[in-house]
Amino acid sequence: MTPSGDQGTAPRKVLVIGLGNPDRGDDGIGTRVVHDLVGTLPPDVAVLTRRADLLSLIEDWAGFDGVVCIDAAAPRGVPGRMYRIDLNSAELPRDVTLTSSHALGLPDAIELARTLHLAPRQLIVYVVEGGSFEGGTSLTPAVAAAARVVADRVIAEVGRLRHPSEPLFL
Amino acid sequence: MATKTIRVDYLTRIEGEGGLDLQISDGRVTSAQLNIFEPPRFFEAFLRGRGYAETPDLVARICGICPIAYQMSAVHAIENAFGITVDGQLRALRRLIYCGEWIESHALHVIMLHAPDFLGFPDAIQMAREHGDMVRSGLALKKAGNELMRVLGGREIHPVNVKAGGFYRVPSRAELTPVAESLTRAHEFAVSLVRWVATFPFPHFERDYEFVALRHPDEYPFNEGRLVSNRDIDIDIADYETQFEERHIAHSTALHSLVKRRGAYVVGPLARYALNFDRLPTSVQALAREAGLGPVCRNPFQSIVVRALEIVHACEEALRLIAAYEPPTLAALPVGPRAATGFGCTEAPRGICWHRYEFDAEGTIHAARIVPPTSQNQPSIEADLAAVATSVLDQPDEIIRDRCEQTIRNYDPCISCSAHFLKLSLNRT
Repeated sequence: MTPSGDQGTAPRKVLVIGLGNPDRGDDGIGTRVVHDLVGTLPPDVAVLTRRADLLSLIEDWAGFDGVVCIDAAAPRGVPGRMYRIDLNSAELPRDVTLTSSHALGLPDAIELARTLHLAPRQLIVYVVEGGSFEGGTSLTPAVAAAARVVADRVIAEVGRLRHPSEPLFL
Repeated sequence: MATKTIRVDYLTRIEGEGGLDLQISDGRVTSAQLNIFEPPRFFEAFLRGRGYAETPDLVARICGICPIAYQMSAVHAIENAFGITVDGQLRALRRLIYCGEWIESHALHVIMLHAPDFLGFPDAIQMAREHGDMVRSGLALKKAGNELMRVLGGREIHPVNVKAGGFYRVPSRAELTPVAESLTRAHEFAVSLVRWVATFPFPHFERDYEFVALRHPDEYPFNEGRLVSNRDIDIDIADYETQFEERHIAHSTALHSLVKRRGAYVVGPLARYALNFDRLPTSVQALAREAGLGPVCRNPFQSIVVRALEIVHACEEALRLIAAYEPPTLAALPVGPRAATGFGCTEAPRGICWHRYEFDAEGTIHAARIVPPTSQNQPSIEADLAAVATSVLDQPDEIIRDRCEQTIRNYDPCISCSAHFLKLSLNRT
């Protein structure tokens, strides 16, 4: 029996980045997903969290073939609603407002990296709509539930990014 | 009487959130108010009852861009209270980590936030399409500064390795070797940056500012010095409150700082440069002259050139410190608390950051006072805005608005520190 697609080829370098501040309610979705992924990903997959200075993402993903980012989106009425955006085939939609209290947010970092030809070959963004970004609070129940779903999807996503010929079952 | 209102709801490319109201009546600017409506953060209040050892890590949280400034002012104040003097290689390491903060903070502001104003781009992303090499250089500069912060501070944002008496851990020479390699490249980028920003079109605008900065007998100031101005101030930092006062202003959650006898003053790159030009290495002085600057620069729009020069200086100083580095025997001097009041004042990228703490015999804080740079510059920003707006009143509202935003960015205001959005509304009656 032949394992699907990866015989004889080294896995591609993959990075998972959780974005946001875990002390500001649903802004902590990225951190929570990365925390849930500990021990579930192949050892060659890099994982990190970033809560500010998203400009540094351009440094973070240098040398990686594939990157998965998880971030929160501003409330639009359906807390926990999840978006998967493949930046190879889509723009980061402007109607999904990623939360950022800093000068440069994720869309800016991605756009700047693309302009400078410093973006990874494959960049997948999971965005979860938040319900509350209150300081000192944890995830709201709907977003906490979405975090578990996103974690499972990221595991599948990482598998496909490491071995691109593998089909992606989400 | 004709009434006209121009409003900008969100000003970008500054650190934090605030707003501006510009009132124009009968063709004259009658009021320019920088509204800081970031909720008060109560740092001084929640420091009460905390131990001295916690203070550097607590105050680092005031700002993600300039945490070293807060940590350094705090440890100097603690050491001042407890009668400790940190010198030798530990002092050098403090200057070194401060170089890292100046490099990363200035590089972010000069290239990513301020340069687009001068070249007519809405943001750095659009600017990168035509000036990709400079933006890449900016990212490399920021990375070099971050590396210094990471190696010495444990991490680049809210470093965790600074303590009263020194550091929790000091680096080996080998750890600094790759940082020096990055800084050597960063220095080349910084020199190119000075030459690039010096070509920008600057409005002909000068004001007779009172500049306030630290002045050290031998060094361009980071951590130490007397507090001086280009008027008559020359005081020990402990006497800050005899010359300066903070006032609550209704339109701002940040206090306004003023020279008691005169009013508004300016801290930051323009002030440091004007009061310490002779303390810059001759190489940086020569580069400044090549960039068209004399020993004093009163045009706030040219602050971008001065910031770039300070990046060059910080790179050179960091390389000098690394070349002379020998790891100290102790990572920190022993600290014994006593009941006393201590003062610290250091040069944050945006200007002096002044701290006073009153400790009891166990080293618990009974009272704290922290004066950040932006609250000191706020009255001058407002005066600049009124003057700048007056000079372009005959221009379309769009031009007035853009020039006002640029004027605010001249100061690289860190509104997060001072109390965060900037909304701009312009009313003509």
